[in-house]
Amino acid sequence: MPYKVQPGVIGCAIRPAIAARDRSLEEIIYDTTQQALADAGLTIDDIDGIIVASNDQLDGRAISVMMASGAVGGVDRDILSTPSGSEHAFILGALRVATGQFQTQLVVAWSPTEASSIQEVERLGADPYFHRALPLDELSAHALQASVLEQKIHGVRDLADTVLAKNRRHGEIAYPGEHGQPGPARWPLAAGTTTRPVTGCVAMVLATSDFIAKRGLTDVAWVRGMGWATEPSFLGDRDLSAAPALAAAALQAYQEAGITDPMAQLDVVEVTDATPYAELLAYEALGLCDRNDWAARVGDGTFAHDGKLPVNLSGGVQTFNPVFCTGLIRFAEIANQVRGRAGAHQHPNTNNGLAQAGSGFAMQYQAAIVLGREKEVRT
Amino acid sequence: MSTDRVGIIGIGQSRFTARRDDASYPDLVREAVVLAMNDAKLGFDDIEAVVYSLSPDAMVGIGNAERLGVEAVGARNKRFLRINTGGATGISSVAAAYYHIASGVCDVVLTAGADKVGECGDSQTVLNKIWDPTYERQLPLGTINMLGMSAIRYMDRYGMTEEDMARVTVKNRRQASLNPNAHLRKVVTIDEVLASRYIAWPIKLMDCCPQSSGGGALVLASERYIKQHNLDAVWITGLAHCSESYWLGDRMGKNPAADHADAFALGRSFQRAYKMAGITNPGEQVHVAELYAPFSNTEYHSIDAAGLAKPGESIAMLREGQFELGGRLPVNASGGTLCTNAIAVTAMIRVAEVALQVWGRAGGHQAKGARVGIASGNGGDHQFFGTMVIEA
Repeated sequence: MPYKVQPGVIGCAIRPAIAARDRSLEEIIYDTTQQALADAGLTIDDIDGIIVASNDQLDGRAISVMMASGAVGGVDRDILSTPSGSEHAFILGALRVATGQFQTQLVVAWSPTEASSIQEVERLGADPYFHRALPLDELSAHALQASVLEQKIHGVRDLADTVLAKNRRHGEIAYPGEHGQPGPARWPLAAGTTTRPVTGCVAMVLATSDFIAKRGLTDVAWVRGMGWATEPSFLGDRDLSAAPALAAAALQAYQEAGITDPMAQLDVVEVTDATPYAELLAYEALGLCDRNDWAARVGDGTFAHDGKLPVNLSGGVQTFNPVFCTGLIRFAEIANQVRGRAGAHQHPNTNNGLAQAGSGFAMQYQAAIVLGREKEVRT
Repeated sequence: MSTDRVGIIGIGQSRFTARRDDASYPDLVREAVVLAMNDAKLGFDDIEAVVYSLSPDAMVGIGNAERLGVEAVGARNKRFLRINTGGATGISSVAAAYYHIASGVCDVVLTAGADKVGECGDSQTVLNKIWDPTYERQLPLGTINMLGMSAIRYMDRYGMTEEDMARVTVKNRRQASLNPNAHLRKVVTIDEVLASRYIAWPIKLMDCCPQSSGGGALVLASERYIKQHNLDAVWITGLAHCSESYWLGDRMGKNPAADHADAFALGRSFQRAYKMAGITNPGEQVHVAELYAPFSNTEYHSIDAAGLAKPGESIAMLREGQFELGGRLPVNASGGTLCTNAIAVTAMIRVAEVALQVWGRAGGHQAKGARVGIASGNGGDHQFFGTMVIEA
């Protein structure tokens, strides 16, 4: 562990699909922030730094953090904002705690659905000369990735269907009543292989080991390792049948956490299953299962809720898909598992968990964190 | 000596202009990165992480435009994230890079970005979209009339005149004329500034920053790495951020949360950065300052908030020449934001210019004997403020 001070997650709030029309986005962010603080047993007065993540195009504002400053308690506080990914907000918050210069950090991300066309929002993220005219949106990029995998790996569609069914089953346990609306078809992705976007919000609270000890907090998910990396933006420069940035991120996280055999050392995993193909790629890049073993491990239920290493006990993105904050939700889900606060989908005896976040076209950005129940002891 | 410090070991910045028809947006980022990498004498294999500096996407017309810059900064399969705190983005990005190192996770981090404000059509049309769509956007607010209202408050509270505002422009243009990277380098007179047309009373054309295009990059490293590799560096000894309310109405009226004349959160941010750096009397201990002031009037409340003058006293002190290059405490020796504003990196350039000053590498606009400097960045609707203390 390289950190000067080990950060721990002490509070989480995951808002399932938000349909209420009687709350403004500011109020939703406020509600979620307060819920995370309450989960940590803190008030905003205990927070000395904030990191938020949001997307200007989805929010319809040129600097969307501005609006949130009051709702997250940012006035007169040290607040930074990252729009590249909700998972990056956690990483930056954890880095700030790890310096020892901050006792606590609040991390918040949100993703509204009021844009007239989320597809057009995504298309604006494509380069204006080559990709935008295709037109490229996230579903198209997912479809291209699925296409190249189907071309390379015989029978992968059946595996994808099995992964999809697994996550849907998990979702029914974790969030009963949350039935993600099926996304449209985009060859070779059949209708329902993805889930339509919903409004969402998520918040987490991090603290130093000193703060945690002083407050006598016990339900802590300690940050053992973090990794994050990016692929280039032009799809033509990438091999969409692999996830090299995730492999790089996993290596960073495992090295920090001292993980050498993830299948043996991890108890539970959450990945960003924007498509089941993305989940399969994550198995490989995270060192859980080589593609040659996908059929065997998916077939024998290794990654199901009663399997050797459950993946996406929350039901993942297939259960609810607040586009921009799905990554941070994965992190919060694993934090809750490690803290023993995952509710209906709590996995017994979770000592170490891994969360993966992917975002951008065909998962350009990748991140992985390892959280553990036991605080590291420096030798 | 502590080995926990974070140092700046490489600096790159474009020669800023209104347009760069010869370079695409990623080309501009790359230009600054190459300059910084050469300055640091490092290769891309030495870089462990990249913090990408880009303020509103709408300024370059591409959503999450940082994705297009990944190759330009050499970040393929490396740690990469972007910061956006509006105009403060540049200094916030340096801060984020600092945290990568101060946490113990990385030894060498690059932060870089670019902007093409001069080619975005009209930055005020974009910046109007930072406000709430229901109440304030349709006034219509822009950053010029927003800070015009601050000027009016400052005039009312402290007696600033339009001539006092012009004096800032004259000073900064004269200093920019010595800085080859500055955008507006033409020396002007008080009469010329006063004769320029009103944009939003009392702010006139020559009280305004330009819309600039160009890139900026810094390489930061841990003290351990710097010593192991026998590198030259200057040190970030204090840093902080602070935010005000989103709503301008909360800064006006009878009982404002913080008066729009001043820069309350900038002051708080400086207090925190000074505490970290052990600075107790900035007026005496600071030798040079690069304060983010896109309009002439805002340099006064920035000087006040930095603790270099008591509120309102900056007007007389500037008139006396105390903040001139060659004066007691040069402010914006580079010409500052008033002469160059490529928004995504403007606040990074403030850090870069202070670093060059305390390093003794500022060339024609070097402040003699500067060893301790401060930088600031403002973002949003005068809402987010980042500050830094940099020492030789």
